[in-house]
Amino acid sequence: MGGKSGALLRLSLLMVLAFSVVLSGCGGSKNAGSSTDGSKGSTEQAETGSNDNKDGKDGKVEPFNVSVFIGEAGQQPTPDNKIYKKIKDELGASFNFEFLAGDINQKLGVMIAGSDYPDLMTGNTKLTAAGAFIPLEDLIEKYAPNLKKHYADYWNMMKDPSDGHIYVLPNYGVYNGKLNSTWYSGPAFWIQKDVLEEAGYPKVKTLDEYFDLIEKYKEKHSTIDGSPTIGFEILNYDWRNWGLFNAPQHLIGHPNDGGVVVKDGVAEIFADKDYAKQYYKKLNEMNDKGLIDKETFVQNYDQYLAKLSSGTVLGMFDQHWNFQNAENSLITQKKDNRTYVGLPLVYDSSTKDYYRDRSPLNLNNGFGISVNAKDPVKIIKLLDSLITEDWQKTLTWGVEGEDYIVNEKGRFMKTQEQRDKFTDGTWKLANKADALFSYLPKIEGSFSDGNATDAAAQPEEYQAGLKEYDKKFLQAYGYNSYVDFFSEPPENPVYYPAWTIDLIEGSEAKIVNTKLNDLSTKFLPKAILAKPADFDSVWGDYTSQIGKVNVKAYEDRINEQIKWRIDHWSK
Amino acid sequence: MEETLGKKKAVRKSKKPARQRISWSLIKSQKQLIWMSVPLTLYIILFAYVPVWGWTMAFQNYKPARSFSQQDWVGFKHFKFLFTDDDFLRVLRNTIGMSLINLVLGFVTAIVLALLLNEIKKIVWKRTVQTISYLPHFLSWVIVTGIVATSLASDGIVNDVLMKLHLIKEPILWLSEGKYFWGVVGASHVWKEVGWNTIIYLAAMASIDPALYEAAEIDGASRYKKMLYVTLPGIKATIVILLIMSIGHILDAGFEVQYLLGNGLVVDWAETVDIFVLKYGIAQGNYSLATAGGIFKTVVSVTMLLLANQTAKRLGEERLL
Amino acid sequence: MTMDNRKLSPQRSAGVAMKPSSGMGRLEPALFHTFNSVFMIVLVIVTLYPFLNTIVVSFNAGNDTIRGGIYLWPRQWTLQNYKAVFASGTIYNAFWISVARTVLSTVLNIFLTTMLSYTLSRKEYIFRKPITVIFVLTMYFSAGLIPGYFLIKDLHLLNSFWVYIFPSMISAFNMIVIRTYIGTIPESLVESAKIDGAGDFKIFMRIIFPLCTPVLATIALFVAVGAWNSWFDAFLYTSSKQDLSTLQYELMKLLSSSMNSNNNPNVAAGVGMTQDSAISLVTPLSIRAAVTVVAAVPILVVYPFMQKYFVVGLNVGSVKE
Repeated sequence: MGGKSGALLRLSLLMVLAFSVVLSGCGGSKNAGSSTDGSKGSTEQAETGSNDNKDGKDGKVEPFNVSVFIGEAGQQPTPDNKIYKKIKDELGASFNFEFLAGDINQKLGVMIAGSDYPDLMTGNTKLTAAGAFIPLEDLIEKYAPNLKKHYADYWNMMKDPSDGHIYVLPNYGVYNGKLNSTWYSGPAFWIQKDVLEEAGYPKVKTLDEYFDLIEKYKEKHSTIDGSPTIGFEILNYDWRNWGLFNAPQHLIGHPNDGGVVVKDGVAEIFADKDYAKQYYKKLNEMNDKGLIDKETFVQNYDQYLAKLSSGTVLGMFDQHWNFQNAENSLITQKKDNRTYVGLPLVYDSSTKDYYRDRSPLNLNNGFGISVNAKDPVKIIKLLDSLITEDWQKTLTWGVEGEDYIVNEKGRFMKTQEQRDKFTDGTWKLANKADALFSYLPKIEGSFSDGNATDAAAQPEEYQAGLKEYDKKFLQAYGYNSYVDFFSEPPENPVYYPAWTIDLIEGSEAKIVNTKLNDLSTKFLPKAILAKPADFDSVWGDYTSQIGKVNVKAYEDRINEQIKWRIDHWSK
Repeated sequence: MEETLGKKKAVRKSKKPARQRISWSLIKSQKQLIWMSVPLTLYIILFAYVPVWGWTMAFQNYKPARSFSQQDWVGFKHFKFLFTDDDFLRVLRNTIGMSLINLVLGFVTAIVLALLLNEIKKIVWKRTVQTISYLPHFLSWVIVTGIVATSLASDGIVNDVLMKLHLIKEPILWLSEGKYFWGVVGASHVWKEVGWNTIIYLAAMASIDPALYEAAEIDGASRYKKMLYVTLPGIKATIVILLIMSIGHILDAGFEVQYLLGNGLVVDWAETVDIFVLKYGIAQGNYSLATAGGIFKTVVSVTMLLLANQTAKRLGEERLL
Repeated sequence: MTMDNRKLSPQRSAGVAMKPSSGMGRLEPALFHTFNSVFMIVLVIVTLYPFLNTIVVSFNAGNDTIRGGIYLWPRQWTLQNYKAVFASGTIYNAFWISVARTVLSTVLNIFLTTMLSYTLSRKEYIFRKPITVIFVLTMYFSAGLIPGYFLIKDLHLLNSFWVYIFPSMISAFNMIVIRTYIGTIPESLVESAKIDGAGDFKIFMRIIFPLCTPVLATIALFVAVGAWNSWFDAFLYTSSKQDLSTLQYELMKLLSSSMNSNNNPNVAAGVGMTQDSAISLVTPLSIRAAVTVVAAVPILVVYPFMQKYFVVGLNVGSVKE
């Protein structure tokens, strides 16, 4: 269609140009400025493209530019960002970031259709399926000894299930040394600290105990700071649906596998199983007792956070990062006793809790090199340099003396001023390379000198940041941190976690997944809000609707992949 | 400019007259009109019609990574999926329902407001009201629905006022009942867009001949009479044309508001065709289904448009085509 | 152009033409006036509130806003949210790009669309009907994302400033609105010009264009607001070129990234956070408010400026004589 439309175009463009010249004195000149800017940019790119000479071995670094597509929202670092400057000075690389704002599916659709890829892109199964990435195994073997060592134990897991090549370098889930864990941001039944304090710091194991505590507390305190006390919140808004969907699998002692429970290597959905019914029936009873917020299913995310940060909500099932902002607000209001503790509840105290897991390899995330990259060798070498410990320290802790201090024992610490800076988004744009680092291969756990790879996980840092209230609270339980409420996670099952399995775009399995979510969104609130006598009939409707969906297609896809993983990932 | 236009020979030289009525001399006498419109028509054909080759996607399992010749052809599979889904009739009902409510409410409120604004005598006050009333147009739906949700909460202002007026005994959870949902969406639209929608009518009112008002006054017409017999007829053409165009958009009930205000309890009343197509189309990487949905909407739109236009013609009103 | 307009149409303000009607009694107009004033006051309150609330939220500490209950006055005053908006510095360039595209789009749109509308308002024009149909239909279909992208790519408009201008130089909706308006201009004006030997282009430039001022003010507003608010073209076509990014797209990135930073499970924020540092945190809610204000304020000033053209209507009657 090029030629024909070209002719048409010239015709109408001619016309338009004629008019615009005549008409737009001011607009035109403004515009001329910006289009020269544009052409400057492209010559710059062309230069770096032709720049694939031999690497400057004699101490001089040759500057080169890497264009990067980040498949998530982010902000451009400031032009004088100190970390990027350091990278440019020492490794020669400068970056052109493109961040995504808007719908990733639309953006990837046109990128793939037009084969318009920058040099580096964050992983996505659509891109992999479209052949947008180059295989990395040989490049790593030849040019990237550090990366090879870094991923040695994970090599097979990184391979693409459809053709066995490695396309993307996972950004999280590769551990090294002792894993200092002081912080749990995953799923749990959360309870207000004051509820536990008032009950004399009991150890809560089961769902029944949990709701008993909440019920008693609410009876005693019908209002908190003048507002009515809310027993339990369930958030199900947009994609934040785990507050309603995910609890049953944990209550029978399984880790988070998404929509399925995997028993002996075989996955099945749990939405319609009896142990799920047991949970929703319990919620139904609690609703009848008035423990559940009346508005819980009509609220949006902002309203949910507002309620939590008013300090009147006693409990909810959620992932911690999802309500972090509310907790920050409670801290600001000096309501430390209204912040939350995560509890790994089960139905039956003989079941071992499995909420906390060992973070699995973050598949399909992190960078891959695109087929359009002019010099993949240079890029893989750059990534290889950045995985060395010195660079990793710079990327996570910052610059010694400026962003952190080293005490006499060689431990990394921060002053309060430095800690505060790290929470300031504006400061970070000029002093951190987060846009890049979030997706780079990284060392997690501890460095060879024993310091944690993440300031927040450094035990001294954690203790220093702990408030009086929390110190007292943890002391009462005899714990070091809130993570101790959870059992030590066992070694992950080989296939774990099932939720990272790619259901494949447009496949029956994916459609079924959407349908199942729709049914749960529609029927579970009804079941919970029903009169206890009606619960069973609503539940019956729900399961019979699920029966009409081709659940097997969904389970088959997952089981096929679980089997593949067991075959290929087992050591 | 006139000169340059005149110098070039008519572009249609090679084309034989399609009908007898179109004679050479007619074309020659209208060459300025042709020069003023045909290039622009070619332009719109390029930008709007040429890409319509993409509708072939609806009959393929389109994969963006493949070239046209490599695509799998699947016939009407995606249309079948669309029309045979259990939910389809429901989402169609919701779409048309909300669309009609928005259409009627949108038109009536905007016209009434425009008429009332026109009656304000103090110019400063009139301009102030106008400017303020169109402010919500500049807020995103996220913000507007946020305020709507807060206002409709059990302790929100709507329940407060109704309780104080003793119209209800206890707070109503407006967003938990399907029967209120369409109304809430309609009211939100009015709130956000009524000021903006009046602009076009106010502009139309500016073209009404003041002599008509004067004549009406001499006849002793009251304010209402003038509104009814001068102002309203003066903007009737605009109203009819806008109405015809809107009827063509009967399936564009949108998705944002419904998505933001909806929840599991009202989902049977909240889901629209657009949401359905988004959910099973783009969100699944299924561009073919999205295209099939688009084609379906276009067919309905154009049919409705022609019907509306025909009706207007029969009623002797202004027509679009 | 406006000069011509003045010549043809002496100023008319809405109030001047209305003398209180004599015969109908004094009570009715007074009642009407009271009702109208009360109604307008309510309207102003209801439509001003969401915007005012957004401004207030934008000046309130994010961490405090989250608690809800911010209405018309900030609880914890801060400039932090605006600091965050301006932090990365990319929005200054983006602002000028947005201004450039808005001005250029508006000028081109107004001229080309009006020219087209004029030709399609001429009853004798032979291509009137087919061209009208071709344009009207464009309102009711879209070829889809990917074919549209291919077109832009084939035209070498990717990563070019012109992609903001070329694809949207004419809107069918605006064309119809203007055509309807031109329809209210007395035919005698055009005819007498023709007798004087004027060609269509000259008639358009000298007579029709100036007479369309009120509707053109409206259309200019529509186009300008549309161009100012659009981000989708920047998202699809120029997203890899930072220096072509528009204000709206930059603000959108900022907003999504503020939501994102809390959604990343791997960011263990808040550890070791003191009260002081927690206070300074921004939240998506507060960023959204600041972003909305920054995006809306520059374009809001356009409307009051346009308003004077609504009141300075054309006095067609005086022309006829």
